[in-house]
Amino acid sequence: MIYADRNAGIIVTGATGKQGAFHINLMNEYARSVGGTGVVAGVTPGKGGQEVHGVPVYNSMKEALANHDASVSVLFVPASAAGDSIMEAAAAGIDLVVAITEFIPVHDTMKAISYARLEGCDVIGPNCPGLLSPGEIKLGIMPAHLFSRGPIGVISRSGTLTYEVVAELTRAGLGQSTVVGIGGDPVIGQTFEDVLLRFSCDEETQAVVLIGEVGGNLEEEGAKIADIPIVSYIAGISAPPEKRMGHAGAIVEGGEGDARSKIERLQKMGVPVASRPSEIPRLLRPLLG
Amino acid sequence: MKLREYEAKQILAGHGIPIPAGFLIRSPDELADRMTGLSEKVVLKAQVDVGGRGKAGGVLFADKNSCTGVARELFSRSIKGIPVTEVLVEQALDIERELYTAVLIDRSSKEALILFTTEGGVDIEETARNHPERIRKARIPLIMERVPSFMLRDLVQGLGKEIGPVIQNLYSAFLRHDAVLAEINPLVVTPAGVYAADAKLIIDDNALSRQGIVVNRDQTERERIAQSHGFSYVELDGTIGVIGNGAGLTMATLDLIGHYHGSAANFLDVGGGADKDRVREAVRLVATKPGVRVIVVNLLGGITRCDEVASGIVGAGIPQKVIVRLAGTNEQEGKAILDGGGYIMVDTMEDAVRTAVEMAS
Repeated sequence: MIYADRNAGIIVTGATGKQGAFHINLMNEYARSVGGTGVVAGVTPGKGGQEVHGVPVYNSMKEALANHDASVSVLFVPASAAGDSIMEAAAAGIDLVVAITEFIPVHDTMKAISYARLEGCDVIGPNCPGLLSPGEIKLGIMPAHLFSRGPIGVISRSGTLTYEVVAELTRAGLGQSTVVGIGGDPVIGQTFEDVLLRFSCDEETQAVVLIGEVGGNLEEEGAKIADIPIVSYIAGISAPPEKRMGHAGAIVEGGEGDARSKIERLQKMGVPVASRPSEIPRLLRPLLG
Repeated sequence: MKLREYEAKQILAGHGIPIPAGFLIRSPDELADRMTGLSEKVVLKAQVDVGGRGKAGGVLFADKNSCTGVARELFSRSIKGIPVTEVLVEQALDIERELYTAVLIDRSSKEALILFTTEGGVDIEETARNHPERIRKARIPLIMERVPSFMLRDLVQGLGKEIGPVIQNLYSAFLRHDAVLAEINPLVVTPAGVYAADAKLIIDDNALSRQGIVVNRDQTERERIAQSHGFSYVELDGTIGVIGNGAGLTMATLDLIGHYHGSAANFLDVGGGADKDRVREAVRLVATKPGVRVIVVNLLGGITRCDEVASGIVGAGIPQKVIVRLAGTNEQEGKAILDGGGYIMVDTMEDAVRTAVEMAS
């Protein structure tokens, strides 16, 4: 398991919104099932004093941390306020912000990540499903019943495609150590490289599934430095060039970043690349000790 | 969203970057009474959203007295299939030298990347490919409001003192307008000073509303509707309609259709957390494209709830067969809603795609 264990206290920002409230409940259900701490507080400016599924809500992150022990925050605030909310968490002393929110203007993301870096705070996302370490902790919105614990690490730019792959792994009897959705935006906090470095140092993780998409070259950059066996799947081989595929990051930029050349570069590094998600377990098995 | 050249230039001019004197016309007849103040030589530039415009015949030079005829010629052309409806008329510049500068987003460092090279003009891509060392680069975190002087000195390498302010102002425009790319190519050196002879500005789609930009570009009716709902929607030529949630899963579904030798007619990503109303509109929209024989709905619940999806599918009431794959949050509730409604329910994405390809062929 990487990033956080079951003992980490979680604060949810944007706690009183529909999504925030719904997922506070699911995260706490998960925490109860594994004997974890779960969500200890929520933050929504102007809604201090309320409760959401039994969790007290505060007006600010500072106030929440004055009353509760927490190291992680999960963010559901609307896009226009998300950059500010990431910085508030970093300033208040949170170690890891998991930003679920999508459609954040990229400049806001870049400023927030620069600031969080100065404050020594890691950011996962934005536009991501969060992370889940089966049997330990769930930070975000991943549907827990698809997961099982085991030696496989998963890193993905996608949300739902990650669930697809996790379901395949679980069906094949390959449990997961931690599954990290790093987010689909062009600029994200933790990249493939950052997460792969953590997996490389994690005793539980024996191999990593790297799920990429058209756009950019962060998959290859990450695979280059990883000190752990990797299997990859890249979505978007049939993507028409120059068409937006829902993730700003999945714009095919010139030659660099299209699925085929990405796959070729990974294969050149010796990384097996699955032609479809259901092929991943077969490629993983020979890599396990 | 990419702005047109004249829109980009107006923005840059507003940030103190010199642009050639000129104006926009929407028909050749508008020329006559606007020529005063322009030099003897003018350039007419078609405002079309394609690259390589100059080489495709979209830029014409003319004398002041011959320019109406040249304008008529340009308005009669199509540039790479796009009819010319707007022409930017500018005074021709006395070019001594063509430079290049740009500010863009660097995914890797999560900062802005400033580029500058003395080898600007139409062959910039060749320079980038063959002589990458000739393009000078600087990275700057967006929490900095201004480009520090040392960075400007390092970029321009002692070149004319007018260049530094252009880069400084380009960075200001990039920041102020939520750009993902701000580019001047060429930045022309003339005896009278430097000018942004061409400019490209791409604004972050997630910032259009706060920038007050309304999108009205060449779109099909279905693309326009999709955009009004906030769906990502792309039209293709095949027979299978595809609906997914999340770009990755939707793309993977499309890839799998290709793997099984089927062809998608269109695909739509409903995004995260879609409720029954959004799903209903999505299903209806995909179904209206001519040639759609079957529809695959491949949805994995996380922030999206399967019961909402199911209600949306039922509510759409479309004539085509719908193959539904639902998994995740509230999966059982969703399946119960669809049960007995004539939907083809499958458990895996592979089964969904295989079934769709068979039924569509």
